Amino acid sequence: MKKNNALLLSTPYIVWMVVFTLIPLGVVGYYALTDPQTGAFSLGNLKELGIYMPVLWESILYSLISAFICLLLGYPVAYYIAHCKPVTQKLLYMLVMLPMCMSFLLRTLAWVGLLQDTGIINRVLEAIGIGRLQLIRTPGAVILGMVYNYLPYMILPLYATIVKIDKRLIEAAEDLGCTPVQTFSKVVLPLSVPGILSGITMVFVPAVSTFYISQKLGGTDTVLIGDVIERQFKQGNNPNLGAALSLVLMILVFVCTGIMNRFGGDEEGGVIV
Amino acid sequence: MKKTNKFLTIAMFVFLYAPMAVLIVASFNTGKDITDFEGFTLQQYVRLFQDKNLLSLLGNSLLVSILASLCATVFGTVAAVGIHNLNPKLRKTVLSLTNIPMTNPDIVTGVSLSLLFIFVGSQMLGAKESLNFWTLLIAHVTFNLPYVILNVMPKLQQMDVSLTDAAMDLGCTPLQAFFKVTIPEITPGILAGGIMAFTMSLDDFVISYFVTGLDFVTLPVKIYSETKKPIQPKIYAMFTLLFGLIFVLMLTMNLLQISADKKKKQQRVKVESKAMRTFKRVAALAAVVAMLVGAGFALIPSRQETITLNVYNWGQNIADGSDDTMDIIAEFERRYPNIKVNYSTYDSNETLYTKLSNGGITVDVIIPSDYMIARMIQEDMLLELNFDNIPNYQYVDDTFRNRDYDPENKYSVPYTWGTVGIIYNTKFVDEADVAKGWEVLWNEKYDDKILMFDNSRDAIGIAQYMLGYSVNTTDEAQLRECADLLAKQKPLLQQYVMDQVYDLMENEVAWIAPYYAGDCMMMMESNENLAFYLPEDQGFNLFVDAMCIPKCCQEKGAAELFINFLCDPEISGANMDYICYGSPISEARQHMDPSLAESPIVYPSPEVQTNGTSYSYLPEEVSRYVEGLFMRVRNS
Repeated sequence: MKKNNALLLSTPYIVWMVVFTLIPLGVVGYYALTDPQTGAFSLGNLKELGIYMPVLWESILYSLISAFICLLLGYPVAYYIAHCKPVTQKLLYMLVMLPMCMSFLLRTLAWVGLLQDTGIINRVLEAIGIGRLQLIRTPGAVILGMVYNYLPYMILPLYATIVKIDKRLIEAAEDLGCTPVQTFSKVVLPLSVPGILSGITMVFVPAVSTFYISQKLGGTDTVLIGDVIERQFKQGNNPNLGAALSLVLMILVFVCTGIMNRFGGDEEGGVIV
Repeated sequence: MKKTNKFLTIAMFVFLYAPMAVLIVASFNTGKDITDFEGFTLQQYVRLFQDKNLLSLLGNSLLVSILASLCATVFGTVAAVGIHNLNPKLRKTVLSLTNIPMTNPDIVTGVSLSLLFIFVGSQMLGAKESLNFWTLLIAHVTFNLPYVILNVMPKLQQMDVSLTDAAMDLGCTPLQAFFKVTIPEITPGILAGGIMAFTMSLDDFVISYFVTGLDFVTLPVKIYSETKKPIQPKIYAMFTLLFGLIFVLMLTMNLLQISADKKKKQQRVKVESKAMRTFKRVAALAAVVAMLVGAGFALIPSRQETITLNVYNWGQNIADGSDDTMDIIAEFERRYPNIKVNYSTYDSNETLYTKLSNGGITVDVIIPSDYMIARMIQEDMLLELNFDNIPNYQYVDDTFRNRDYDPENKYSVPYTWGTVGIIYNTKFVDEADVAKGWEVLWNEKYDDKILMFDNSRDAIGIAQYMLGYSVNTTDEAQLRECADLLAKQKPLLQQYVMDQVYDLMENEVAWIAPYYAGDCMMMMESNENLAFYLPEDQGFNLFVDAMCIPKCCQEKGAAELFINFLCDPEISGANMDYICYGSPISEARQHMDPSLAESPIVYPSPEVQTNGTSYSYLPEEVSRYVEGLFMRVRNS
């Protein structure tokens, strides 16, 4: 009876997810393997992928750097929040969440205003006598945009893990003669690994596939894989090549998250923000 | 240690909030430029509330996100209960299925859904408009579901199984037990999942960008197409209001929860504290109000029996009422009150072609250039016009009839004509360098200040003029040579641009760009340091943009009415006053501002025109080859 109910309740959902997540991926595969002009089976798109491999590596590099910077910046913040009074914790948590609810396009555009050649930062630099710097259209600007946009995705899972660490473990370590550095490296850090891995994944995945950040903050030489896919679909008139590139991106992401899960040990559900 | 952490936390919050502060300050700015605060005003807020289009876009966004999160919450909760009771092996499989949209990059989810809708809708079922409100809703529900499931599942796991058993022992039916015991237990998870789904849906850009057609667009998608041009400050006003709203909502939710937690500690016996109940009521009320407001916004346009005419035109290519010009669309809607124009823009012929050939959308009027019209005729993408419905065609000059791209003049009515030249900033660029012609776009002196066309035909065309090849060559070796020349130019470029050229040239961020003469005139009107040069010796593109009706049109009669309206000499003249192009209707010239009607940039002399060449039709393989070459230069 109960078993039947369970199936009855979950079947519509399973059907929905198969139809709207698995089958579409199949359609992507179909497009990737057909010729844009004739619609016949072809490996031409896959052959053309080689040209875009440098772009793919560059995207991976940028997003890994961003994830790492997010970790360095986010960890102390998450640690600090987790050790505040409960009420303060809630408010700070809210303040970290809030930017995620605001338009990501406009927030990125604000950085254009800040970094532009005639932008706010350069005006300040000029006023204090340093003179204008090339800020926008550099790889640094793209990484900055990624860090800015995805930092909350790092802080929230880190916080969720750190706040769960039993305070008595830290006390015990201190009682047994650990220095603060030792306590951190031997107790706190190992216990926050699941949060770190989840944070890295949550920053890496959107960063590696972004196209807006690189279009707005990057130059002609900072093209990311997301840009290439977007252009194939929106102006290049080659959805088939776009589909092949999407497939590569998807496999890359699944491999990366698979590795992360292996390291982190598979908890059902994982850390949810 | 603690002090450093505190300092870092404060620094991080400054980092997160400074850009938003910039936007909020910009919403009170009298000027348009985000970097230059000219004076305080509330005018942007007034403009925001006067802009029905913007408000209805916000309504669209609210409608989709509210409906999608509600559906996902109900559907997801039921499914979570089911999944929870499945045997462990099956449960694991289903949960990994749930994880797919979570781990997949948004762009892949968007691309895969749009391909599915187009493949099934257009190719298998033959639907004309397979990207519409419903597909957008399906996409949103799909990416919302995992948030609900992943928030509800842990609550189900935490729940004591004996609770439902006890309820059923005491005589509850399973259904009663579910509603009276399970639901209250997992409510926090349902609420958290629902709210998360709502916010994700409201701010989603990437997935919506790929699955929307033209007639139902959400706010982020519109903002994306707007930010290619100088952004209107009223958008900042909207940002500020939304920021305030979300801030207050989150704060009240948190404060209520904090006080609820406190009370809970004091009186453990009472399961639901008073504050919590008030909170729930407030939340429910807020949801209902938001839903009604959203539905109201969305319904305003469809209240009357009107025809919606989808017009798809170049950016900045119709007079919109600013700078004392005529608002052409408003005027049309005033004359034909039963027609509502849904106006969208593209930035190049290639974008237009891609959008149409991908399919899944409805468009009634398009305005491509000559070579693209030829291609569309060749590929059977256009409908023949009924010239009985376009009596104003009589005003069109003979020289603009039966052109090569449409030899029998069955498919198109000319809209504008013009040239492609170089716009440059006289403050920074030496006239002598410009006089050398297209080479100036390769001049290392202006490294990082040069812009280039972001479309294959115009970009390759400039290389062809430089190398002295025909712009209509089909020779692959010549085309490759052109691509190599463009690749050499790439390190010197600031950006590849289309509509963004306005912002960059007017604000003197870039100094030189090739662009269409009329648009150059518009830029020169807003910055007097800008000048235009036509490389007559090397050759330049002379083009005609003409109005056509694509095969996916659903309102052909209204479309022809619109085309006819734009051919009215008076309307055409008023339109050209804003867009600064030559009108193919001589009579229109008399209605134009004399300074424009006499301008050699707008109306180059017949002698000058002889040096120009038109792009003509290229066979499909060649077009694809050119597009592929440019994509490679651009993207690698």
